[in-house]
Amino acid sequence: MKVEATATGKNVHPLLKVENLVKRYTKRSLAGTPEELLALDSVSFTISPGTTLAVVGESGSGKSTLANCLACLESPTSGNIWFEGKDIVKLEERACRQVRRQIQLIFQDPASSLNPRWSAFEVLVEPLILQRKFNREEIKKRVNYWLGRVGLSQDIVGRSPMELSGGQRQRLAIARALTLEPKLLILDEALSALDCSVQAQIANLLMELQGSLGMTYLFITHDLAMAAHFADEIAVMDRGRIVEQGPPNKIFIQPEQETTRRLLAAVPRIGRGDQSALER
Amino acid sequence: MRVRRVLTRWLVTLGVLHGIVGFAGFFAPYDPVEQDRKSPYLPPMRFHLIDGQGHFHARPFVYALKLREGSFDRYVENTTEPQPVRFFMKGARYRLLGFLPCRRHLFGLENTRIYLLGTDAYGRDQLSRLLFGGQVSLLAGLLGAGITLSIGLCIGAVAGSFGGWRDSLLMRLAELFMALPWLYVLFAIRAFLPLAVSPLRAFFLIITVIGIVGWARPARLVRGVVLSAKERDFVRAARGFGATHGYLFRRHILPETSSVLLTQAAILIPQYVLAEMTLSFLGLGVPEPVPSWGNLLSSLQQYSVLVSYWWIYLPALAMVPFFLGYLGLASSLQERGAAYKIESRIWGI
Ligand SMILES: Nc1ncnc2c1ncn2[C@@H]1O[C@H](COP(=O)(O)OP(=O)(O)OP(=O)(O)O)[C@@H](O)[C@H]1O
Ligand SMILES: [Mg+2]
Repeated sequence: MKVEATATGKNVHPLLKVENLVKRYTKRSLAGTPEELLALDSVSFTISPGTTLAVVGESGSGKSTLANCLACLESPTSGNIWFEGKDIVKLEERACRQVRRQIQLIFQDPASSLNPRWSAFEVLVEPLILQRKFNREEIKKRVNYWLGRVGLSQDIVGRSPMELSGGQRQRLAIARALTLEPKLLILDEALSALDCSVQAQIANLLMELQGSLGMTYLFITHDLAMAAHFADEIAVMDRGRIVEQGPPNKIFIQPEQETTRRLLAAVPRIGRGDQSALER
Repeated sequence: MRVRRVLTRWLVTLGVLHGIVGFAGFFAPYDPVEQDRKSPYLPPMRFHLIDGQGHFHARPFVYALKLREGSFDRYVENTTEPQPVRFFMKGARYRLLGFLPCRRHLFGLENTRIYLLGTDAYGRDQLSRLLFGGQVSLLAGLLGAGITLSIGLCIGAVAGSFGGWRDSLLMRLAELFMALPWLYVLFAIRAFLPLAVSPLRAFFLIITVIGIVGWARPARLVRGVVLSAKERDFVRAARGFGATHGYLFRRHILPETSSVLLTQAAILIPQYVLAEMTLSFLGLGVPEPVPSWGNLLSSLQQYSVLVSYWWIYLPALAMVPFFLGYLGLASSLQERGAAYKIESRIWGI
């Protein structure tokens, strides 16, 4: 069923098209000689609307950098990002603000993405207030709706984000991004810190939203099992490059690259200890 | 928790001290410029409860002072006539907090005058001058610090938010300001201004000058806070919701600077009180007869006063509790900032 979605998705206009994206960080070492670090090295891929691309890779392979560039929070050194046919790299500030709303990023560390001085409620309504389209009642209604959807109870809204558990914070961050109903949601290891039942609950919610709202996900993880469960396509990153890309079945059954094999070997074996668990 | 208790303690201490100075009219027995030419350089009087005959008095009393025989500047207590201290008595007119007309004073004497901290060359009550002088000096410190912090906040915020050449320019300028020998620059600035200016104008002049001088350090600190706050994930997240730069600054970045600004205020206020005192001591501050802590000390420039009348030094001691209060406040604010940082690190924020 998933494979079909990919097949039909390929025919329509891609929601996101990334071409030769390069991000170079210049670090000045103590001696003063600038040191170049290629965090993204000519990355290209496309995502069709209503599909999920999982990006897997080892720590430091540039996954978060990619997410930041796509969410317009970091400007790439070179390359193009086409979102709904518009190149968002060269957009000026004002237009960029409009695009940013439609591409939401759930940060790898959700705690740091919630202002510790604010209450959970203030945190949650911020995107809606910034939109200036809604009155108080509508904002309240939406916030309560999304709180329920991510499985948070209403009585946490008075607390500070610092007083929430890691999982609650993560769900708060997800609920906040969802209130904007973005076209593209980038989840930077957003489910890694959740326990299995909540993880499944959020994963199901995301899949359901994909069905009803046609949302598109870029799902960053090191959890290959999760990626396989979730994604229509998997891209494997290594040292800033996408080394292998394809549907989950292909990646799991005939991995072409050493990196992929290493990642596969790291997946914890469940039950009989073979890889059939990954193949659904 | 402990940090907060210490902080509260310092705040209460400072509140009480400032309250006494703020209500100087009530706590001081006399008008600060009222002269008593017959009794210059009178030493402090002491409270007594037991008189010369060994009788106990429930109401404290003082003895008036008279010249010792054969001396022209040494006084002894006139023990024949105890002068009972009256409380909440009517006396010189004053304006409470600068506007409420009032005549009640905490204490006073019926027949003669009471000088608990002695008198100066014109026979003015040192205690009254000390309390009223505190109003001038502390207000100078508070307003000066306010000016400095406003300038520092603006410049630091511009440097941190915009970056680039503006940042470099402002930071070089800050370094220049930190390198200048400020006391002598103040002299030079003062030299451009007319010698005799009205007390009010002189007051605003010096707080402006003092206030403008110190912006560099707070500006650099604010810049640092802005730079790090800009990259915090919750600020980036808000950017992702389509927030404007103005919104990000107002709602997320500005609150982050508050702890630095408060700590700086607690450090700057005593520094500026001291600066006002130095200027006034040198005769460049608020002109006589308006009292200020610097003016009170300025007669110490005469050698004869320096060696003969120890009570003229007392104003210098009076500021010690204020300074201790502010330093204590500064360090507990700093501690609170550090505790906050550690706490947020524990929680991964
Ligand atoms: N702001 C920055 N300045 C300099 N180097 C950076 C910066 N951000 C990331 N890097 C470097 O870029 C590389 C990619 O980092 P990135 O955060 O994208 O990795 P990641 O794949 O998300 O890793 P993880 O799985 O641990 O989150 C790393 O080597 C990192 O050190
Ligand atoms: Mg990362």
